[in-house]
Amino acid sequence: MGTIFNFFSSLKLTVWLLAFSMALIFFGTLDQVHYGIWHTQKLYFESFLVVWQYPVQAPAYDVLGWIRIPMPGGYLLGGLLLVNLLAAHITRFKFSWKKSGIFLVHFGLILLLISELLTDIVARESQMAVDEGGRNNYSQTLREYELVLIDRTNPDYDQVHSIPAELLKSGKVIDVPETDLKVRVVRYHPNADITRDEERARQSPADSGASQRMGIAVVPKAVTYDEKTVVTPAGFFEVISAESSLGTWLTSTIIDDRFPPQMVTAGEQEYEIALRDKRFYHPFEVELIDFKHDKYPGTEIPFNYSSEVMVHHNDSTKNQKALIYMNHPLRYEGLTFYQASFANDDKTSIFQVVRNPGWLLPYISVLLMGLGMCVQFGMHFFKFLGKRSH
Amino acid sequence: MLGVFLTGCDRPEPFAYRIPKESRDVSVPGPVATTNTPAEAKAPAPTSGSGMQVLPGMQEAADEAGTILYTTPTDWTELPASGIRKAYLQVSGENGTADLTITAFPGDVGGVLANINRWRGQIGLEPATADQVASFTEQINIFQHGGLYVEIDGAPDSIRAAILPFHGYTWFIKLQGASSTVFENEIIFKEFLDTIEMEGHAH
Repeated sequence: MGTIFNFFSSLKLTVWLLAFSMALIFFGTLDQVHYGIWHTQKLYFESFLVVWQYPVQAPAYDVLGWIRIPMPGGYLLGGLLLVNLLAAHITRFKFSWKKSGIFLVHFGLILLLISELLTDIVARESQMAVDEGGRNNYSQTLREYELVLIDRTNPDYDQVHSIPAELLKSGKVIDVPETDLKVRVVRYHPNADITRDEERARQSPADSGASQRMGIAVVPKAVTYDEKTVVTPAGFFEVISAESSLGTWLTSTIIDDRFPPQMVTAGEQEYEIALRDKRFYHPFEVELIDFKHDKYPGTEIPFNYSSEVMVHHNDSTKNQKALIYMNHPLRYEGLTFYQASFANDDKTSIFQVVRNPGWLLPYISVLLMGLGMCVQFGMHFFKFLGKRSH
Repeated sequence: MLGVFLTGCDRPEPFAYRIPKESRDVSVPGPVATTNTPAEAKAPAPTSGSGMQVLPGMQEAADEAGTILYTTPTDWTELPASGIRKAYLQVSGENGTADLTITAFPGDVGGVLANINRWRGQIGLEPATADQVASFTEQINIFQHGGLYVEIDGAPDSIRAAILPFHGYTWFIKLQGASSTVFENEIIFKEFLDTIEMEGHAH
């Protein structure tokens, strides 16, 4: 037991872990060029193990393409660093006022590591687009998708039955929650084009809906991590009731609200079936009153983007007016709205909506570390001054 | 912390939830919103309820269909017709507005019945059968070519439309909106159809 403790509290381990961290950041940065920031983060930093391979696009790939370098991922390194720091404190560090600065710095570091793990696990980012004069009550992710069956028969509300796209594997049968229906994934393409091709549509698995009515066919393509490209998954899904099949439907994120709804009839019940970006509905509507896109006079160079919004909450006592612009987000109901982008000739404003309950922790930890360094160096400095004056 | 970590690693599960009633503004697909960002370019972002792409070839086909000429009725507003829309007009009434859109596609776009039922679905009506269609359609002449005039009454919205097959394309001229506004402007809509000309196809 003592050996294990010694191992986890050793300074040698600290040095090794820091060296591995540098290597992880280096190779992750190299790969980010090809994979984009989102995928690199998942691969390198939100994992226990990662294998870097010599990129296809790099020179001399035919000679060096075999090179594979496995290394510990962010969760493993961060977790071990945390254990190492805690173990060192338990075994070796004894508190004294002379070392109070170091303790503050270490405590801030521990808080930072914990806050990063918390952010990875609970933070959620999405985007909300609002037209000028319009309102929106949901935000959506760009890289997560859901298959939905929507029951719009109730006059007071719509009921959404959602199946996350992570579950949509070819051949799987999934229960539709709170219904007697099942969905069989005939085929799922993580990325695909949609095209008008009557012949291809006739030969596809779909026998109902837009595919047959409009001669729409699917052309699968490779998933791209290029941040400038939108990934558009598509799939063929058979909806099955207790008695029979209710048809096989083609859905795609391209076939969205602009198309007539694809309606699955289950007895006297009807459901709209669709594949879409995963949505998060909020208990409020964001109304975009005015979007400003100011440029330096006589140029096309922007110097300001701002959105004047009015938030209409279901509880009207929480209504709020706000101006959102760069470095000036709206913090509302545990969410932060950043001015992210715009579209439609400045008629639509797009907000990044971030839910991160631990957003204050990095600030607190950096403050603690800064304070700790000031305390520790301050003590040395004044001690030095004291010696000099003698 | 281990508990947080483990719960965070939960596999996603299907789930159901309620949302406020949504209205579906179904129309012919429009082009993807172009996105400009303050810094470097990002992936195109969705617009509220309409972040989708024109199907491959649609924009080119719409451009090749040609130009339509018409006279905007008095008190109607002409709005920018973007993407595959050839025209976009709007008229206001006491109980709401009605939009007039003109679009064109190669071929018969699935046929008359399919398109009529698509429109019926847009205003919350059940599909009609081929036999029933005769009861709310009639032959009409537009630019000396035979077309079909369609009347679809619903609540709260109604539709008056013309389907015109023309030189390998099918043109859709559709007035849709608040029922009372559509009824009040029915005669004006028919007069509008009389003003239509296809550029470069003078007879």
